[in-house]
Amino acid sequence: MNPVRMLLLGTLLQVKQQSRSPLEITISLLVPLVQATLAVYLFRAGTNPPALLLAAVGAGMMGVWSSVLFGSGAAIQNQRFQGTLEILMITPMRPVFKILPITLATGLVGLYSVLATLLWGVLLLGVPPSFAAPLWFVLAAPVCVLALGAFGLLLASTFVLLRNANAIVNPLGYPVWLLSGMLVPVTALPGWTGPIAAALPTTWGARALRAAVTGGPVWPALAVCVGEALIALALGTLALHFVERRARVTATLALT
Amino acid sequence: MRTLRLLTVGGAIAYRALFNWTTPAMFVGTLLVSPIFQLLFFVYLGRTLHVGDDLGYLVGNAVLSAALACVYGGTMAVANERRYGTLGPLLLSPLRRAAVFGGRALPYAVNGVLVSAFTLIVGALLLRVPIGVRALPGLALAITAGSLCCAFFGLTLGSIGLRFRDVWLVSNVADAVLLLVSGVNVAPAALPPVLRVAGALLPLRHAATAAREAAGGARLSALVAPLGAELGLAVGYALLAIVLLAAFERGSRRHATLDLL
Repeated sequence: MNPVRMLLLGTLLQVKQQSRSPLEITISLLVPLVQATLAVYLFRAGTNPPALLLAAVGAGMMGVWSSVLFGSGAAIQNQRFQGTLEILMITPMRPVFKILPITLATGLVGLYSVLATLLWGVLLLGVPPSFAAPLWFVLAAPVCVLALGAFGLLLASTFVLLRNANAIVNPLGYPVWLLSGMLVPVTALPGWTGPIAAALPTTWGARALRAAVTGGPVWPALAVCVGEALIALALGTLALHFVERRARVTATLALT
Repeated sequence: MRTLRLLTVGGAIAYRALFNWTTPAMFVGTLLVSPIFQLLFFVYLGRTLHVGDDLGYLVGNAVLSAALACVYGGTMAVANERRYGTLGPLLLSPLRRAAVFGGRALPYAVNGVLVSAFTLIVGALLLRVPIGVRALPGLALAITAGSLCCAFFGLTLGSIGLRFRDVWLVSNVADAVLLLVSGVNVAPAALPPVLRVAGALLPLRHAATAAREAAGGARLSALVAPLGAELGLAVGYALLAIVLLAAFERGSRRHATLDLL
């Protein structure tokens, strides 16, 4: 099958599958709204709060990261529980074309978080929808989401290899939210966290969206985000190639 | 004697069999490391927005960290029986349900206390926030009351697992709601009335209040009201869990849905 067609069809199939899971829907629907509410009330309580819209956008980005982080792993674990992971991995196609649709789909489902938290903030929490560059925002949001989906490929490879990859993934929510400046500016963190933050595409994605809300150039941060996502894609492809071989050798693909 | 054995030994065996996070990697990653990052996130957010102080966030989030072990644990304590195909045989047994399921909450309460204490100690060291020795008894009582209440709340959510197959969405939403309404990260006064009332009826609000007062130097006698409220809620959730378990068990038998996955 044509790899591009495989990517498109696979992504569509995964989005359909995730949109029929009550658990995925509830987590994607409610949790970002709770986080947006929390962020808006915290911002309001501050003595010198930044634009409230940043709280809604930041909470939306947190939702995208959660979706990619937990969705990628959950999709692979579900394949494992259903006994389809082995069949998927032995199909005559490079592993990246089989796993990337899953992680891209989690990113696309996460895009809902950004839209939902924005609507929630504007309609129910009275956040003024004052974008400095609305067109840039419309462009940057899906690009960031796809970039995070590519980054998710690296995470997904751990799930192919390890049965207990949740142990690695579960603690990764808050540190990435913190280091990426989704609600807390990176400048407020200790200096040694700077290089780590700079290495994360989430940091540049969040920075691009913040710039679209508050003003300033969007494209440099967006370009870095895409560049880092491409590097993550390359590393993820290599990692998947390695873990697929490793899982075949140790015969652990089907173990739950 | 038999009831006591069911409560303690039965509870411990069920904990070992049903709690998915007992492997060292999962326990450390999910229950010990994750709450520390959550604490740091809110401390830095509070510092940036100039809301609250480090001590308040440290103590509050330490109490809140019990929710992870107790809410998800309580859900697993019942829902995993169905997942592993043992729910039918369990409900066929003639043992008293209150003792069988009541004892299941206790290991999670102990787990909650351990997680909270770990978060408090490591958080205090990382943030260099001193906690006075005089505050320790009050903090210990607050953490214990909060964990106990949260464990019975988790069991209440778990009981829904007898009726609904996708019970994990309930625990995920409950965990997120506790983050919002427990008053740990957003002051209750800043929330709208509905969320304020919800916070007062859900676990951890009163325990967090007691813990913050203890950390602020309040005497034990001043903590009676919030600790009493938290323990009252714990008893309420324990009763609610038993009633729901009995009702859902009858419904599941009638509709023959016990083994549906």
